[in-house]
Amino acid sequence: MSFLDILHLALRNLRQAKLRFFLTTMGVIVGVAVIVTMVSFGLGLQRNMLSRFRALDLFNEVRVFGKSVFSMAVAGVDPKLKRDENPGGPRGPGFRADQRPTRILDDAALAEIAAIPGVAYAEPDIGFTTFVRANGRVVPLTVNGVSVPNASSRFKNFLAGQMISRADADEAVIDDVSAETLGFKQPADAIGQTIEFLAPANEKNTSQKSDGQRSSDSSESEDEGGLNFFGIPLEDDSDIEPGSDANKATSDGLNQVVAHTFRISGVLNSKPKEGAGQGGRIGLMSGAAIYVPLRAARQWTIDHRNPMGEVALALARQSGQLGERETEGYFSAVIRVDDPVALTPVRQRLTELGFGSFSIVDELEQLRTVFLILDSVLGLLGGISLLVASFGIANTMIMSILERTREIGIMKAIGAEDREIKLIFFVEAAVIGVTGGVLGTLAAWGVDGIANRLAYRFVLKPQGASFVDFFSLPPWLSGSAILFAVVISILAALYPAARAARIDPVRALRHD
Amino acid sequence: MPLLEAREVSKVYQMGTTSVTALDDVSLAVDEGQFVAIQGTSGSGKSTLLNMVGGLDHPSSGDVYFNAKPLGPLSKKEMARYRRFSVGMIFQNFNLIPTMNAEENIKLALAFGGLRGAQRRKTAKDLLGRVGLSDRLTHRPSELSGGEQQRVAIARALANNPKVLLADEPTGNLDSTRAHELLGLLREMVTRDSLTILMVTHDRELASSFADRIILMKDGRIVEKDDE
Repeated sequence: MSFLDILHLALRNLRQAKLRFFLTTMGVIVGVAVIVTMVSFGLGLQRNMLSRFRALDLFNEVRVFGKSVFSMAVAGVDPKLKRDENPGGPRGPGFRADQRPTRILDDAALAEIAAIPGVAYAEPDIGFTTFVRANGRVVPLTVNGVSVPNASSRFKNFLAGQMISRADADEAVIDDVSAETLGFKQPADAIGQTIEFLAPANEKNTSQKSDGQRSSDSSESEDEGGLNFFGIPLEDDSDIEPGSDANKATSDGLNQVVAHTFRISGVLNSKPKEGAGQGGRIGLMSGAAIYVPLRAARQWTIDHRNPMGEVALALARQSGQLGERETEGYFSAVIRVDDPVALTPVRQRLTELGFGSFSIVDELEQLRTVFLILDSVLGLLGGISLLVASFGIANTMIMSILERTREIGIMKAIGAEDREIKLIFFVEAAVIGVTGGVLGTLAAWGVDGIANRLAYRFVLKPQGASFVDFFSLPPWLSGSAILFAVVISILAALYPAARAARIDPVRALRHD
Repeated sequence: MPLLEAREVSKVYQMGTTSVTALDDVSLAVDEGQFVAIQGTSGSGKSTLLNMVGGLDHPSSGDVYFNAKPLGPLSKKEMARYRRFSVGMIFQNFNLIPTMNAEENIKLALAFGGLRGAQRRKTAKDLLGRVGLSDRLTHRPSELSGGEQQRVAIARALANNPKVLLADEPTGNLDSTRAHELLGLLREMVTRDSLTILMVTHDRELASSFADRIILMKDGRIVEKDDE
């Protein structure tokens, strides 16, 4: 007897007792629906939490620190006496390297880091503050270099315009606050406008790049300037009143020149999106008012080094820790990993390479374990309802043996093997399992959808929040739920099938 | 050499503390192409003997031989194959599956025999034609007369070409006209197709008019073998 014949017989038997089949299957449907709904809720919780963290780029970014020129400059000084390890670096908690870097973080090192498996890219953190002129106003603003193109979440939310088009484009992205500071009424008004970076005219290394602009801007330049510390990086004080300080700065003197001109390509929305963390920081990269391509930013920091930087560089070269032709490298860089799971091995590799590093979460694995336990508990609760259903299946099967005793006797008399009798029962159970599993999964899918809508309608919407999918129903969950239902059903049929196969044909044929 | 042989077959049923002897040291031999009738009153052990020969039951002692091979040592699976291919059985109450029509009942037996698809359908039709029921293919047992049901049962018993047909009171539920018709059909199969039939009946008249031999049983023993 072929499997098809057995399937045919099993389906026929189920058709013969439609109501009983329906009720038995109902038990499986409910069991599977409960499991799938519970687990999909757990998975949804996990997905929503992780994606929320991911949107902040806190889980997939590492800050890496190289040996800074300042530490090389003071190499001879007892570390205990040093007041500040990295006077040139960003300040604040959470930005300390886990170990003292022993390597210089230059372009070659960055290329090496970018080649570590799991690393998407490494972006050096180049920041400075300078006076800029746009829309007829001069204000000091913070500037950061960015790699172009850029996958960071920070550059996903533009109020107007777009990201810098090419890595070598003279384009800049500003945030909405700066646009306001610079006097643009609408963010869109800033698009296409020029923004000029100002530097002292007597500086020796002034980039020649912007010579062309110098004459055309000279009339305006007459009203500006007067501060002879232009080009010296300052701490971020972008909270100055728009216009007022700038006007002071332009009171007299002709000492400053336009060192570099950028065209504004986009205005960022600096307000955190809904769901972003408190404070609105996205990722580990320092925020700035203006973003320009990395190469331009790097060039600027070399051309317009501040006096302290000059001294540090000279001291480092003098001490022999930095070669005459070597560049001082970057103070730090932000590394983006493809998957937060790769964070730990990547950091380990950075340590081996001699760099210091920092990340918000080292032990994402622990978080995953917590979710695994949660999902298991939810699945177990659902599993209980499927267990109840399995008793229903066993009960139905035993009932049907009593009814079909004679039929089984007949089949044995005409040559059915015990194995074939058993198979018929197993296939019947499997059909119940598959039907219950598929319908149960569909039911869970429906419950998920309804629950999402109810939650939106009665909880989220009144609070002004947008729609959230609380559930995650991946194909593997549906697949394994159906498989699980089939396995449970077949297990439930073990005893009935064995009992059916044991039926004595002589007695069964006398049975009426 | 006999096709079927029972040697010193006994069957003892254990009923609580008392034991009931259904068959007591029964020996008999059936040659190929013979129509043998076992006659006896109810409780004489004739049906028990037939079940042993049909491979549905095991003797307590002694053994049944088919083609000189004992059934005793056969495994459950081999026993199932014996029932499937070597013998066919019909019963007083027909034992057709009530939810299947005539053709499906026969196709079920053919399915156990391993016949597939079109060949299975064709063989089922041929078998029903052989018992004169070509026009009753899709009738359920409840829509057929007793005689017709027993013919379907015969067709099913012969589905996998067994050499032996075992009939347990085949006419017990039929009136005398239908009974004569049915035994006529069986007689024809013996004569024409050299089928071997072992039939159990309580009806001496029917047995003597159609069978080659009559074996009389009483209280689990053979009391008379008319041809030996």
